[in-house]
Amino acid sequence: MSNRSGGVLRYFASVTKTVIAIVFLIPLIFTLLVSLRPETEPVTKGNIFFGSELTFENFERAIAIAPWSLHYINSLIFVAGTLLVQLVTVTCAAYAFARMRFLGRDLLLMVILLQLMIPSGVLLVQNFRMINTLGLFDTRIALMIPYWGSAFGVLLLRQTFREVPIELEEAARIDGANLAQVIRHVYVTNAIPAYLAFALVSVSTHWNEFLWPFIITRSEAIRPLTLGLNKLIKTTDQGAFYGQLMAGTLIVIAPLVILFLLFQRQFVESFARSGIR
Amino acid sequence: MSCTRIACLVLLLIAMTAGAAMAQDDVVIDFYFPSATANDAEGIFQRYADMFQEENPGITINSVFSGSYTDTRNTILTELQGGGAGPDVAVMLSIDLYSFAEEGYIVPAQSFIDAMEDGDAYVSDFFPALMANGVDEMGTVWSIPFQRSTPILYYNADLLAEAGYDAPPTNNTELVEIAQALTTDERDGLLVPVAGGFPIWMYQSFAIAYGRNIVSDDPTEVYFNTPEAVAAVEFVRSLGTDLGVGPAGGAAWGDTPVAFLAGQAAMIYHTTGNLSRILDGAEFEVGVWYLPSGPAGEDGSGYGSPTGGGNLYIFDDGSKSDEELDAIWKWVLFLSSPQIQSDWGATTGYIASNATAWETEPLASRAMEYPQYGVARDQLQYADKEFSSYATITIQGIINKTLESILTGESEDAQAAMDAAQAQIDGILAEYK
Repeated sequence: MSNRSGGVLRYFASVTKTVIAIVFLIPLIFTLLVSLRPETEPVTKGNIFFGSELTFENFERAIAIAPWSLHYINSLIFVAGTLLVQLVTVTCAAYAFARMRFLGRDLLLMVILLQLMIPSGVLLVQNFRMINTLGLFDTRIALMIPYWGSAFGVLLLRQTFREVPIELEEAARIDGANLAQVIRHVYVTNAIPAYLAFALVSVSTHWNEFLWPFIITRSEAIRPLTLGLNKLIKTTDQGAFYGQLMAGTLIVIAPLVILFLLFQRQFVESFARSGIR
Repeated sequence: MSCTRIACLVLLLIAMTAGAAMAQDDVVIDFYFPSATANDAEGIFQRYADMFQEENPGITINSVFSGSYTDTRNTILTELQGGGAGPDVAVMLSIDLYSFAEEGYIVPAQSFIDAMEDGDAYVSDFFPALMANGVDEMGTVWSIPFQRSTPILYYNADLLAEAGYDAPPTNNTELVEIAQALTTDERDGLLVPVAGGFPIWMYQSFAIAYGRNIVSDDPTEVYFNTPEAVAAVEFVRSLGTDLGVGPAGGAAWGDTPVAFLAGQAAMIYHTTGNLSRILDGAEFEVGVWYLPSGPAGEDGSGYGSPTGGGNLYIFDDGSKSDEELDAIWKWVLFLSSPQIQSDWGATTGYIASNATAWETEPLASRAMEYPQYGVARDQLQYADKEFSSYATITIQGIINKTLESILTGESEDAQAAMDAAQAQIDGILAEYK
């Protein structure tokens, strides 16, 4: 009896999973289809799959419009530079909030929590003013600075660190470990899945970031991928070049998609273990 | 990874960015341009900058691509409000004048024109309709026409000929007749791009055709609930409902030229800014004609379309030196010269904004080969001002929202919706009177 109902349940679960997977795949597949259609054959009712031929014309045109390799390098530096500093600041802050006792700790944590709720657009002018005062306008540093602290990262790691048994830290202390060694060997080692989850969120957020880089940079030499993509959006006067736009979109998202496919299992596990779903 | 290694990486990053700053003795002009233009706008502007720098040693043009018109406005506003330097010259919508003038961010071109020997000749060479949005109610010239356009009627001449029509429609009655004759299950007879949040521009051409534009020279007055304005929106709505020649609620801006090129629409209203793309992309004979005249009459008063597109604006908060201002004006003069306007018009399809440009190569030959270019220019004699007032963005938003709700059928009673909008607009404008 229980065996049978388990079978039905499992069947039901896999059907649901398939449906959800298809729903999530549709935009991606559609992007690919449109990017391979000739520009002169728009998608219409009843004709959504292939055009009269498969063409790479859209890719050729999209590639010609922006210096993509430069944008790739810029995006990599932006994303890596942001993440590396975040890992340091977030680890230190998370440890302090998880294990140290000091005046106003909970209040401070509340303030950090509050910051999660402020949409970044509201701070645009103020952030700009700050960067400008520091003389950093139109530099790589200006791109990264506002993200060097991360409320999300602090909260996630604080939670993870609190779950690490205090006895482990005490044992390490008795063996003569100093604070840095404790953090490094006790906490970081036990929080790798959380770090992986945080890194994934951080990388994909900043890879897709448009508004801040757009406002704070002027030189092509430091502008990331999203600003290259922006050049393909020609809906203002000339109508939409959807094929070209979709080709550009694929160029921009390709590394993230490939990365995810390669490390799928690890990502899913780390998300499951760190409690974010 | 050890902490020292991370610190090294951070230091490395800082060192890399330091290289971005460099010494520069020349006068550098920061020039922002939006992307509403040709596919390779950057390449074109680079070519213009090279030409200019050759003629003017000691001046460097730093061209910055700044996204859409909206992106451009927001970038510049953020930068200026945040205490940044901002651009020296920018291409922005001709209707942005009051928003920027109110804040004191821009200076009128008039002072530079007055200092010219042949200033009057320079100004009078521009088509008057294109100057309308760049001049304030006192007659001061603020901005110079650069990439300007108007809506025109594009028609698939092959399809019209098949159905027995040798000439395009010249009035709304003929427009509806031909559109109905050409509508099939797979094809729309007429697409008017009013869907997707920005119907005001196309709508204005109907309001003008019905006898009254929704703006005047006075930036504190808007006429949105006149009988003409109401009749115009009701006509546009009927195209998608009773008359059945296009989709209910209108077509989307970006889809319209694509559908036309694919033969899925027989006629479209669209901007002249698209002329080159459509002529180059069509596999049929493309006809272009004035927007058909409305009930206001065929003596010319029923013709009409708003102008649109971008002007050159000069930014100065009073801190720029005479040498800098001199260089800035030289760049503006260069971009608005017949030589560049001719090249820009021929490359993109924007209406070259001064008369001399049309007698200058390459546009002269291009217009000879494709008479369609001339139609857009000739329609300018009937063109009128694009919507612009104090608090332009807010009021434009109210109008767009109202029009959209009428066109989609959400507000059935057009008059009531427009009365309500007018009252709201008058409330906003009261403080500017």
